Amino acid sequence: MDDEAEYAEWARDNWGTLVRAAVFLGCTLPEAEDLAQTTLVRCYTAWEKVSNADNREAYVYRMLRNCLRDSKRRRWWAERPTERIPDSASPDRTAHVDTADAVHRAMEGLSRINREVVVLRYFVQLTEQQTADVLDIPTGTVKSRLSRALAQLAADNHLADLTEGSTS
Amino acid sequence: MSDLERLWDDLPVGRAPVDDILRAGRKKGRTPRRRPVRPLFTAGVLTAVGGAFLAGIIVAQPPGSAPEASRPGGVSDASPAAFHGELQPVESCDELLDHYVDQALEIVGPHGWESGYYRTALRDGGFLAFDTPMPLAANQDATRSTSEAAAAPSTSTSVNSDTGTNVQEQGVDEPDVVKTDGDVLVRIQDATLTTYAVTGKETEELSKIQLEGFEGGELLLSGDTVVALGNDGTRSPHRGYGWYADTGPATTRVVSVDISDPGAPQVGDTVDLDTSLVTARQHGSSIRLVTAAGLPELDFVQPTGRRGMRTAREANERVVRATTLADWIPSMSVDGGEPTQLADCQDMAIPRQDIGLDTMNVVGFEADAPADVHAIGLAGNASLAYESPDHLYLAASPFATWGECFDVCPLTGSPAMDNAGTTMVFDFEVTGTEATYVGSGEVEGSVADRWAMDEYDGVLRLALGPTQATGNFNSVVTLERRGDELVEVGRVDKLGVNEQIESVRWFDALAIMVTFRQIDPLYAIDLSDQDDPRLMGQLKIPGFSEYLHPLGERRLIGMGQGPSGDGGAWGAQAGLFDVTDLTSPRRIAVLGYAPGTQARAGADPRQFTWLPKERTLLTVISKGWSGRTGWVSVVSLDHGRLTNRMVEADYGNDVEQIRTVPLPDGRVVLVTGEDVEFFDL
Repeated sequence: MDDEAEYAEWARDNWGTLVRAAVFLGCTLPEAEDLAQTTLVRCYTAWEKVSNADNREAYVYRMLRNCLRDSKRRRWWAERPTERIPDSASPDRTAHVDTADAVHRAMEGLSRINREVVVLRYFVQLTEQQTADVLDIPTGTVKSRLSRALAQLAADNHLADLTEGSTS
Repeated sequence: MSDLERLWDDLPVGRAPVDDILRAGRKKGRTPRRRPVRPLFTAGVLTAVGGAFLAGIIVAQPPGSAPEASRPGGVSDASPAAFHGELQPVESCDELLDHYVDQALEIVGPHGWESGYYRTALRDGGFLAFDTPMPLAANQDATRSTSEAAAAPSTSTSVNSDTGTNVQEQGVDEPDVVKTDGDVLVRIQDATLTTYAVTGKETEELSKIQLEGFEGGELLLSGDTVVALGNDGTRSPHRGYGWYADTGPATTRVVSVDISDPGAPQVGDTVDLDTSLVTARQHGSSIRLVTAAGLPELDFVQPTGRRGMRTAREANERVVRATTLADWIPSMSVDGGEPTQLADCQDMAIPRQDIGLDTMNVVGFEADAPADVHAIGLAGNASLAYESPDHLYLAASPFATWGECFDVCPLTGSPAMDNAGTTMVFDFEVTGTEATYVGSGEVEGSVADRWAMDEYDGVLRLALGPTQATGNFNSVVTLERRGDELVEVGRVDKLGVNEQIESVRWFDALAIMVTFRQIDPLYAIDLSDQDDPRLMGQLKIPGFSEYLHPLGERRLIGMGQGPSGDGGAWGAQAGLFDVTDLTSPRRIAVLGYAPGTQARAGADPRQFTWLPKERTLLTVISKGWSGRTGWVSVVSLDHGRLTNRMVEADYGNDVEQIRTVPLPDGRVVLVTGEDVEFFDL
């Protein structure tokens, strides 16, 4: 693969955002790392074509979303923290669990489809069009879901109220 | 900076395992994927992201072959079970069993099933096992106008089906306790099937037979064949429309009876399915059942003094691991013969999303050959069914947040599910006895029952109630299938803020919706451009309509409740609406019944009949819950005025059986618990 080096660089640059997105979409940190890895492996096979495609981000996040849906491990917001914290957890690891858990608690008021829009558009900072492509919805729907979701997060005091003006 | 933004930055994401990824990627690049994944992209998005690449590489199809989604109609295979996308095909029975066991392990605990799920299947009108707000009343697609002149938004008249039943969709018949072809009338009461001649001056009983081991039944009629749908009598008896499984193992019994000699009906095949009937529909001579099996009753242990919670849980997990497919997939037996698996493993699908564990089946057969079935299914809970002339939609929906969900909520309402606050809809194309999965979609909000769904010109229209995913209002949303996804193309929001949908009625280019909290707003929604539905007009009046019936292009009747008399007490109410100008619908007459009365059409639209020639409607009004009396209200329309005559018809539970069946010759048969006789108009 000629552009393997390019792919490696891209993967390195985007790793953090992919993992964060996966956590925000409902994964624990270890699950999120697995998922990001699976996604990147799947994208590798197709990289030549993807890098020619004019919408690389949309493709990768589409893959992430599909991998997440395929994942048997996914349990949206199911509360089973006791099973997730190993008995001999290092303090460090417990902290990770807590961070992911705090994210999930903050986001639990949102439906999955609203959550996806917020994560992709607001946090990953895809464009409106890219978000629409990932989710297969019209851009208008991205807008309306985003504003509703942000309003909800703001109402829950998880985000500053940015529903007016600058976010769209 | 807000807490979420801080968390985003604070997540300790580590360094990318680039070497592992490259190694795995190289390896994967050489070996074809074991299991081809069909493209989830819709045709439109394929173009945007590079269709050739997706079809050629990810999908593991030879380069240049057409992506599935772009095939005509999106039907990807000749097999009725062609599953794809949100409904994943299964490759083997083992894979299917693994799925059931995996899912079941998540909801098994020390006491057995821990999900709060109970077996009750929602039947048709959305009769829930707990005290629920009124089910949405009929919408009935009225007569689809045949003159297709760019359908202008208007109502159109709707009359009973050919077999005498007030149905949801013209051309799609529904079961009822009585059916007629105009010459012979047949009714079922418990296990007793009676035939009557209805061509003479008086009705005449022709025969009376007992269907052995049959209970809780309703009928369909196709030519000379009666199909009785009920259960085998092993569960507590339930009569009337709201019949559902509540105790004992689920059973559905289908009995075919030949009445070509109505004086001597011949019982044909008896087919037993160990699953609950959700709904049944008839297109011509083809009948389709939708069933929901619920969770199997397994030999679970309970924690005791000596057996702790943990031990009990582990024991129950072992029970789950030891299940076989026979525990999960319903079986079918013909005339008491050896049970066989209702649907083959490859005709079952696994929902990609976690919609709750259940087994839904769609079972088609010809009326005279119930043993010869086409059965497909899905390993999940999508128990709201609506069938249009060409489509069957199964929906997995949470309950509206206003709809009280007391201590037991079905799985689909649990926030642990994928679809918290959203409704998942699966679309099947139906031809004859076959149903073919074509796509699915997800939308925020809840679908209360089948009346909240409608299909016209390939577009699914939904009346959605609020959930935790929506604002505090109702919406009308249009969904169009692109590839194998139902994509939202239009919506109208803020219909009835803080209110609950009471009834919806759909027409080609129009929806009429009634919501309620204290007053009764009636909304007219223009659907002539399905991509851009618009609120045309609204009307606010005291009371509410649970059932809407269009009389023609200009008049609509609403049966419901409203203040009656002076004392502030409420009773049944009939309102006549002028919908000539939909931007300004008006109520031109109102008929109040006595305080404490109920308009039963809201709960069972089959207790309503519109006689267009006589400009008269017949509907059942009852009073009291115990010691109940039921009347047939004969309401005549004359120059915008309503005149009413009450005819006392029956008492007690038999009130549920009252039907007014119109005959082709213009006469009406009144069916009560005791009698079947002509009704004097």
